[in-house]
Amino acid sequence: MNPGAVIVARARSDRDERLLSADEPLAALQRACGGSIPGIVAIPQLLELVRKAGHYRMKLARVVHARDETNAISAWVEVSPDDEGCALAISNWRAAPLTGAEALGGDDDLAGVAAQCADLHARLDARQQVLAVSRAGASLEPVAAMMREASGRPWTDFVDVAGSSHRQPLHWRLLDGAEITCGEGPGRWVARLFPLGGDRGAVAGFDLYLVGIDAGPLPDPDGAKSIGDPADDPLDGVLGRDLAPALRQPIARIIANAETIRTRLAGPLADEYAGYAGDIAEAARLLQGLVEDLADLEAIEAPGFAPAPDRIDLADAARRAAGILGVRARERSIVVEVPGEGVEVPATGEYRRVLQVLLNLLGNALRYSPEGTTVRLEVKLRGKRASVTVADEGPGLTPEQQAKVFDKFERLGRGGDGGSGLGLYISRYLARAMQGDLTVTSAAGEGARFTLELPAA
Amino acid sequence: MVESGFSLADDTAVVAQFANRLAGSDKALDDARPILRHLLVNDDHELFSDRIVAAVRAQLRDIAFQLVAGVETAAGNPEPRGAAEDACDSLALAFANHPLLLGHAHALALEAALAERLAARLGLEPVLSPLLQELIASPDAATSASAMNLLAAQARFGQTQRRGELPLGELPGDLLHAALIVMRTWIGADDRARDAHAATAERAIRADYDEATSRLGLLQRLVTGMGGGAIAALDLAHGGIALFATALALGSGHERDRAVLALSEGQVPRVALALLACGLKPAAAEAQVVALHPDAPLPPEFDSLGPASAARLLAGADR
Repeated sequence: MNPGAVIVARARSDRDERLLSADEPLAALQRACGGSIPGIVAIPQLLELVRKAGHYRMKLARVVHARDETNAISAWVEVSPDDEGCALAISNWRAAPLTGAEALGGDDDLAGVAAQCADLHARLDARQQVLAVSRAGASLEPVAAMMREASGRPWTDFVDVAGSSHRQPLHWRLLDGAEITCGEGPGRWVARLFPLGGDRGAVAGFDLYLVGIDAGPLPDPDGAKSIGDPADDPLDGVLGRDLAPALRQPIARIIANAETIRTRLAGPLADEYAGYAGDIAEAARLLQGLVEDLADLEAIEAPGFAPAPDRIDLADAARRAAGILGVRARERSIVVEVPGEGVEVPATGEYRRVLQVLLNLLGNALRYSPEGTTVRLEVKLRGKRASVTVADEGPGLTPEQQAKVFDKFERLGRGGDGGSGLGLYISRYLARAMQGDLTVTSAAGEGARFTLELPAA
Repeated sequence: MVESGFSLADDTAVVAQFANRLAGSDKALDDARPILRHLLVNDDHELFSDRIVAAVRAQLRDIAFQLVAGVETAAGNPEPRGAAEDACDSLALAFANHPLLLGHAHALALEAALAERLAARLGLEPVLSPLLQELIASPDAATSASAMNLLAAQARFGQTQRRGELPLGELPGDLLHAALIVMRTWIGADDRARDAHAATAERAIRADYDEATSRLGLLQRLVTGMGGGAIAALDLAHGGIALFATALALGSGHERDRAVLALSEGQVPRVALALLACGLKPAAAEAQVVALHPDAPLPPEFDSLGPASAARLLAGADR
């Protein structure tokens, strides 16, 4: 979703403060806060507002602040109570990437979770040198003993950071989430670093938690890492490991600020300047996509890359992809047809990679189809092959274009629309890595059909 | 002659009554000293000038008047306003004992006084600021409509403040709710008929109320609608005092009433920190402080503070 875009959503709650229906993006936030629809309002400030309006029997209107995994969200919410519950009208929806300071102050929950399941907790100073080791499980006791012996040395002296030969310690953001092993011993851990605030916004030190990898997944503070992110793949690439995480936030801020200017939220502005701001946002989006794609490319081209095959449902993946891009489709008045709820097409592949391919295909279809058309997601099971096809009603591809559309950095002569020319290359690479394939059939003027084929399960 | 049958029950009743009265006068004596000391020690007379005190009293009385008039109307009194004039003083007293209502009336009176002072000194138009003009000219229809409504609300605010009025619809929802509860307690449940009329009046007031159309609601909506651009409102000359106070409150995490109080003399460090916490550069924050208080010195080394430490300091001070 574009940061800064103004969206209006409506929702309804019943008398027990349960959300009965909600438009996007409120529905997504409700889920991100751990709620469901129908289900009790899970966004704390919104729940308070709905409760108050119901209790006071008055129309209330306030700013509601919340956060999902990556964004600080604020919205203007008007709540009108009636006999059945409350009607909610939401506008001025804004999602801004969390700044360092906000993330610094707001990760308490996550730190709490880490503390609960950590095998080792150490207090570090601002240079990541060990000050004290306050708790250790049996498996890490030898490491803890070494740290206590030689406190004052960087914590990275006592463990091995997987996949990194850099001089340690790196910047904490790069080490946060890194995989840790200890010498020859068995066991793998994830390092979580939580900065502690000091004077004048500087970092005074860190809480270091080593969480056993079998202890279950810890929510990742950087949601951008969820899809197609190489951070949890073993790779040595500088870009994926070091550069991409460092670039994401500044680029997101460029987009957010440029969008603010473009939409004239800071006051009226001559058209040409709003246009320039739009260009800046567009260029930054292109850069953002390129960074993600390059990081991804590096991950999948690294030696030893292999998707983890699993039994998945292609129809479910198709419905999920359509749900994720639903807002974008509605913005362009494009109808996305998905397989019905009961349909199931079992296949073998890695779910998040399949979803990544589908998001790429559907994203392209939404980008290049005329407004008001239909994009169909069709699933098929034929013998030992399962497939999902994304069919659009766009301009289609000539045979020459079809021949090179899967090439690296191929843009088919398009420019400035946010594409990097890597998406389809990566998608086909992924499809083939999962013993499947990605193909296209099209005639110019009749739309394109991209088909992802996988072994049936 | 003293009555012979002075029962135990009467005795305790009299004792309790005197004890109550004494406690009340104790409190008045206890309160007198800090107030006097405050007035003597602080040269910050702006907060407690005769004019401000009178405006607070008038506003609380006006809330009481509207509520009592509502009850009288519900009771079918042909002269509700006359009856309300007679009865509303004791209800106004009950409001004065409610810290949030009292604080709100105080903040509004200060805001109006400050707007007048800045109009006189800096030529700041109290109703239509340049930023509000720009918002009215916004190509976004919703923004433009809200801004028009705010223009009308600002004009009404100036008028009602001059008359010492505070319309119920202009109260924040929580305070209207609080005022209604105070009113119901004041009327009491003993007089069944009157309590029923009060309930009728209360229902009508609640149903009529719409926070989104109040001046404070419109201000909040417009400022949050500006997103990162809200920083434009943090220029007194550009935004005007009303948008400035709302942006300051939202940006620094203060209640708006508290943010208005921070604009008064003697609160220079607080307003300076709040401006920094909103993300203003030190030089820009300093310019705003100087516009508010040309003579008041800024805390030294003020410009070495960043927004995060300013916010932390404020959070610590508010605790």
